[in-house]
Amino acid sequence: MPPKVDREKCDGCKAEKESLCEQICPGDLMTLAEDKKAYCRMPRDCWDCMSCIKACPKGALETRIPYQLGYHVAKLIPMMGTNTITWTCIDINGKVERFQYINRGMLD
Amino acid sequence: MQKTIPKIGLFIYEQGGRLARAIDLDAVIQRLARIKNVTRCEVLTDLAAPLPSIKEDFTSDKFNRILWVGKFSDYQKKTIQSELSSAGLNPYMHEWCDIEEQGIGIDGVDLGIQTQKAILIIQMSLARTRLLEPLEPLELPAIDAALIIGAGVSGLHTATSFMELGKKVYLVEKESGVGGKVASLHRLYPRICDPRCGLEFEIQKIRESDMVEVHTLSKVKSLEGSPGNFDVRIEKQPRYVSEEKCNACGECMKVCPAVIPEEQRSRESAFINETSQQVLNSLKSEKKAIHPAVPMPYPPTFLIERQSCPSECRECVKVCPAQAIELEQTSSEMAFKVGAVIVTTGWDPYQLSKVEEYGYGIYPNVISNLEMERLLESPPAIEEIGFIQCAGSRDERHLNYCSSVCCSVALKHVLYLKEKLPDARCYIFYQDIRTPGFDEELYQKVKSLHNVIFIRGNPSTVKPGDDGKLKIRTEDTFSGKEIDLSLDLLVLAGGMMPSQGSFEIAQLLNLPQNNFGFFESHLQCHPEESQRTGILVGGACRGPMNISQSIESSHRAAMEVLPFLNRTILIEPKYPVLDLTKCDKCKRCMEECPFLSYVFDENGFPSLDLTKCRQCGNCMGICPLIAISLRNNTIKQIAAQIQALKSSFMGKEEPVILAFLCENDAYHAAKSAVEYGLPVPPNVFFIKVPCAGSVNNALVADALAFGIDGVLIAGCKDGQCHYVKGNQLVKTRSGDLSDKLQKMMIDPQRVRFESLEIRDSKKYVELVKSYIEELRAMGPNPFKS
Amino acid sequence: MAEKIPKSLNEIQTEVIATDLLIIGGGNAGCFAAYEAKTKNPSLRVTIMEKAHISRSGATAAGMDAINTFIRTDKGETPEKLVKWSRAQVGGGPIREDLALSNAELLNETVELLEEWGLPIVKDEDGHYKLRGRWDISIQGEQLKPIMAEKAMEVGAQVFNRVVATNLLMDGDRCVGAMGFGVRDGKFYVFHSKATIVSTGGACGIYKSPVTDYSGAHHQTWMCPFNVGTGYAIGIRGAAEMTSMEQRWIAIRTKDFCGPVDTISVAFGCMITNAKGERVMEVRYKDVGGDKAARFYRLNAPMTEWLEGRGPTYVDTTILSSEEAKDLREDLLNERPSFVLFLASRGHDITKEPVEIYGSDPYIVGGHTGSGYWVDMKRMTTVPGLFAAGETAGGNPNKFVGGCAVEGRLSARGAVDYIEKTTLPPLDTKQVEKEKERVFAPFIRGPEFDGVNPMEMEERMQRLMDEYAGGIHQFYRMNEERLDHALKNIKMLQDQTKYLYAKDIHSLMSAHEVSDRLDVAEVLVHHLKYRKETRWPGWQTRMDYPEVDPDMDCFVESVRDPKTGEIKIFKRPFKQLIPGDRTKA
Repeated sequence: MPPKVDREKCDGCKAEKESLCEQICPGDLMTLAEDKKAYCRMPRDCWDCMSCIKACPKGALETRIPYQLGYHVAKLIPMMGTNTITWTCIDINGKVERFQYINRGMLD
Repeated sequence: MQKTIPKIGLFIYEQGGRLARAIDLDAVIQRLARIKNVTRCEVLTDLAAPLPSIKEDFTSDKFNRILWVGKFSDYQKKTIQSELSSAGLNPYMHEWCDIEEQGIGIDGVDLGIQTQKAILIIQMSLARTRLLEPLEPLELPAIDAALIIGAGVSGLHTATSFMELGKKVYLVEKESGVGGKVASLHRLYPRICDPRCGLEFEIQKIRESDMVEVHTLSKVKSLEGSPGNFDVRIEKQPRYVSEEKCNACGECMKVCPAVIPEEQRSRESAFINETSQQVLNSLKSEKKAIHPAVPMPYPPTFLIERQSCPSECRECVKVCPAQAIELEQTSSEMAFKVGAVIVTTGWDPYQLSKVEEYGYGIYPNVISNLEMERLLESPPAIEEIGFIQCAGSRDERHLNYCSSVCCSVALKHVLYLKEKLPDARCYIFYQDIRTPGFDEELYQKVKSLHNVIFIRGNPSTVKPGDDGKLKIRTEDTFSGKEIDLSLDLLVLAGGMMPSQGSFEIAQLLNLPQNNFGFFESHLQCHPEESQRTGILVGGACRGPMNISQSIESSHRAAMEVLPFLNRTILIEPKYPVLDLTKCDKCKRCMEECPFLSYVFDENGFPSLDLTKCRQCGNCMGICPLIAISLRNNTIKQIAAQIQALKSSFMGKEEPVILAFLCENDAYHAAKSAVEYGLPVPPNVFFIKVPCAGSVNNALVADALAFGIDGVLIAGCKDGQCHYVKGNQLVKTRSGDLSDKLQKMMIDPQRVRFESLEIRDSKKYVELVKSYIEELRAMGPNPFKS
Repeated sequence: MAEKIPKSLNEIQTEVIATDLLIIGGGNAGCFAAYEAKTKNPSLRVTIMEKAHISRSGATAAGMDAINTFIRTDKGETPEKLVKWSRAQVGGGPIREDLALSNAELLNETVELLEEWGLPIVKDEDGHYKLRGRWDISIQGEQLKPIMAEKAMEVGAQVFNRVVATNLLMDGDRCVGAMGFGVRDGKFYVFHSKATIVSTGGACGIYKSPVTDYSGAHHQTWMCPFNVGTGYAIGIRGAAEMTSMEQRWIAIRTKDFCGPVDTISVAFGCMITNAKGERVMEVRYKDVGGDKAARFYRLNAPMTEWLEGRGPTYVDTTILSSEEAKDLREDLLNERPSFVLFLASRGHDITKEPVEIYGSDPYIVGGHTGSGYWVDMKRMTTVPGLFAAGETAGGNPNKFVGGCAVEGRLSARGAVDYIEKTTLPPLDTKQVEKEKERVFAPFIRGPEFDGVNPMEMEERMQRLMDEYAGGIHQFYRMNEERLDHALKNIKMLQDQTKYLYAKDIHSLMSAHEVSDRLDVAEVLVHHLKYRKETRWPGWQTRMDYPEVDPDMDCFVESVRDPKTGEIKIFKRPFKQLIPGDRTKA
């Protein structure tokens, strides 16, 4: 749910007025801290739509399920193409599954 | 928005049965003819004969774009395009696909595989062809006037050249007169002639023309706008004399009571003796508060150094026959428009006082090579003279480079000195004597003179002798002996550094500088390049060089800006276009553009200056929302090409590589690999891109999503990218993608960046081969179906 | 960025934007409204006011995996049949059959527009949209929202992102726009428009969610928690008539995660089972249609099983092959991707273990049930100049993505016709000043104010509603006395909003969200009280009136008096247009 930020990778979107994650979050939850790194203002309010994960050009964000709901640690990683998206899901036992489909254009 | 249904004419040009030997041509044609939208598909063995029917088919709307497959000479391409252009087909509606350059026809590859590969290559081109749009170059209005900053030798020569081409010139100079450093020299080598002669020659031309406006005591205050349409503001300091009325008669100077001594170094020292006093006298120069322009008296108007005037003094006013004195003048501003800017701000001598061991500024008889110029006009009676070469140069404590002219200058000084003082003993302390080209003659001549001694070694600290002479100790590295000498005069060969004006202009115009402060450029290929379109640099502000090199350098810059000095500028229609519905103003395109071609518009969106843009596509590469596309190479086109590549065409186990090759270096390496018959494996397909930096991560993601096993991005080596840093940008970016792949439990090496130089064909083949081995070991891409 | 807390209203800049059509809420319906208005009349000024960013705002933030209403005419389906089905899904109604029919008639064309804009829709071998249920088609809609947003921008709509609406701008009883504030720039915005479309989605977070107690999971709701019912609230405060608010939308959802179940049950045919292995719908709900029973029956199934000791309840995914399990999860990646992560974080192989289901918290959402503004055929509400579209508009349940898109277009048509016959009156600056004061009051009070912070009030309200107005922890049950208790305390809370303080601009938005939710909750409770029957058990279970009352076979309406704040509740008759048994699809 609340995005986990890789502070090494996050470049604060070069400390622009609004970082890309901040621009896109439907809940007005992502922003930059004093050190210009992204963080989620109120993790309990995140709806896990993953818009920020998809928007980050550095791949610095990752979604996590709160511990009350799921165990440590599973990962779901989207990779955005121009008209495709792939998802890689790694469960807590290390099982890897992959999904790939077109997300823009006619299916013919 | 009207959408045209693409209808494609597909022609395979088969010469002498070459293709048929490598692939099953019939199978290929059959396969291609079945494709939707391909309305005519055939093999041509000749180009001239079918052309009329092709024209006819186009005119009758059988197809509205053409894909040409095969090898065509430039002449053939041009003929085809112009023939069809006369029928109304825009030249950008032709697509050229050379299947052989992708490796079709290489010995030893199975016919079936080659045929399959050929079909895929053509299908990739078809994908592009479907999305072609007719494109027209843009014509933008421009101003055919140039701004030249700095009226030294480079600036003057460039001004007259532009003038002769009928272009208006604004020549802006911060001193009161033109001529720069060259005007302060006294003799030039090898002819030992007066430099003002050559300068006067150019000044004459400027005088007689009304195309050159010379603004002295002026500096550029701001430069805005874009190539072809720059808005310049300059600030002029007051001269206090009217440029219109003053005729340089000099009456004022006769009555002026105020004398300005030249800025003296501290001479109040215990080191004054007879010789050093004579040196001081020779170097003394004074001028009145009202004086002609310096260094050269052009513009001919006098000027007044107001701060030196005694208060209430009006002597010059009283006496001036033309009533040209204007004591109430203030600084003023001027604005004008130009199409291009040449920066020729020249050099300044290195501050030799920093080379503490030689006592410049402490001992009056230690002087610089520039000061020696003046001294030689009327040298004092000196007997022992030392020249220390590389004083403060080739030294990491001072200037860590060679100023290239100092050796020839010292030799010139010795020659001239010996003419005036034949019995003088000259010692030249050197590390290396660098007299390239024909300057060798100068060296031979001086070596043959009597009482000229060359000592290879670095003198140690200079000490004052009791008699006011200078004691110097040096090691002669050839004999290994130490030599002690007592000298009347020591001349330090100071180096050239970028002028103060150069630093100021660099700041104002945002021009990149190298470590030494000279303007940064691609030294060998494009020395005048400044990374700012329409603004170029020439002359010694680029680096230490002699006078003729300076003039040549600024002319090279002038040639480069000529296209902007026209009433219209033609922009090739390959520039990037931004989709505002996708843009969220993250500004990454603005930051990564190597040429600062983007600015914010009034709504905060990036706006491209078409005349600054070099059409490299780096903005297309970085945009995280794939909102930018080059007009002739759009994201959709490349995505369609990638989608057309069937990654399992050799079976699931055999890896397929998609390579993005930069068209400046890597592409040629790949192409010539095939031409030399090197064994290029069939596994690799390439897409040509204008710069490796134009490859967007989303396209790489597409490639992986569609099952391509490995993506190779090949560009230039560091420091060699034609667009400054495209290779570095894509290396960083694709590195981020590789990190993501690792998190996804996919081998990060499935995306890699490599550098290839233009003739690295062997390296290309080795690279591809080893990549295939690695991919085989990794197993197929997990997304491969 | 508004980091500094203003000390007085003078420090706050006011922006006044005049426009022809204002669209509050740039979601599905909002973007389609913009598209339709600009396409119909390109010279019209169309402005979208959106509290987040239209590219990913609202309910379709993560995407969608299906469009649940499409009419396969080649299979003999018709708009009338769709309306009949929709009516049956809400137990026979009442529904506004006129609205439903006009919506259904434009449905296919609207869905085809989406495909034209780049939305991938799954097709069968004959090239028709492939059905996964009777009306449902599968889409690969991860980019659904960006596609719609880009289209709205492409046609030239003026978009104001990060501007929250706080109240309607009125000229007498006519709506001439809206006011609000910028949640990034801290400015006060006044949109002065000839016509306004309100399309802010439904209301979530009126009730406590089932997993709120769990740390880090406050917003683990099925519905978008950022849709708080502002659209309803501003209408309520503007004396607009609301309909059917008591027809709350509650559905079975995956337990704890509160994720969609439709895909699993409808598309993949997984039946509801209990811990005893029984097929619950077939066994216990045969007389109301078994598996095809109306949605509220399906909702009750897991709750009843739980209460009666036969829980947990599941959707039986063990019947799926591993191929199907993969396809299922791929679908969900388009709508709620983190559900796939949820399964992975439990190491849950759905072919080996079924997926547990439970009810969700109650929502008010007119795209699924009939709650929302009462509108006429032009989609105009009872406030002249104010149109409603999408989930904000009432009377027409089962719209979902396709239907809401159609509503956007129809409301735009209505608004454009209205605009052509009207002019913009002068701006009531007094009203503007008053609203500015109201809006920024919590902010000016500042973080040191000895009062109530919005989060505290929100949690208090949610617990109040949950316990006294039929929330999930009460198995949706309510009675008159409890409802009265709820009402009394809602009024207390409404009064106490004068103690709310905001420590920053985001907290100011929270303050207004709580305020809006309270206004919606108040009206909701009145509706729940008035309908003294249990017509849709689960959605509205009156313990004191467990049977259906034939006199209540009508719409329940409400209007709030803007001066006194009194809520007037009354009935409107139901008109059946499509003949036949209303409970049969």
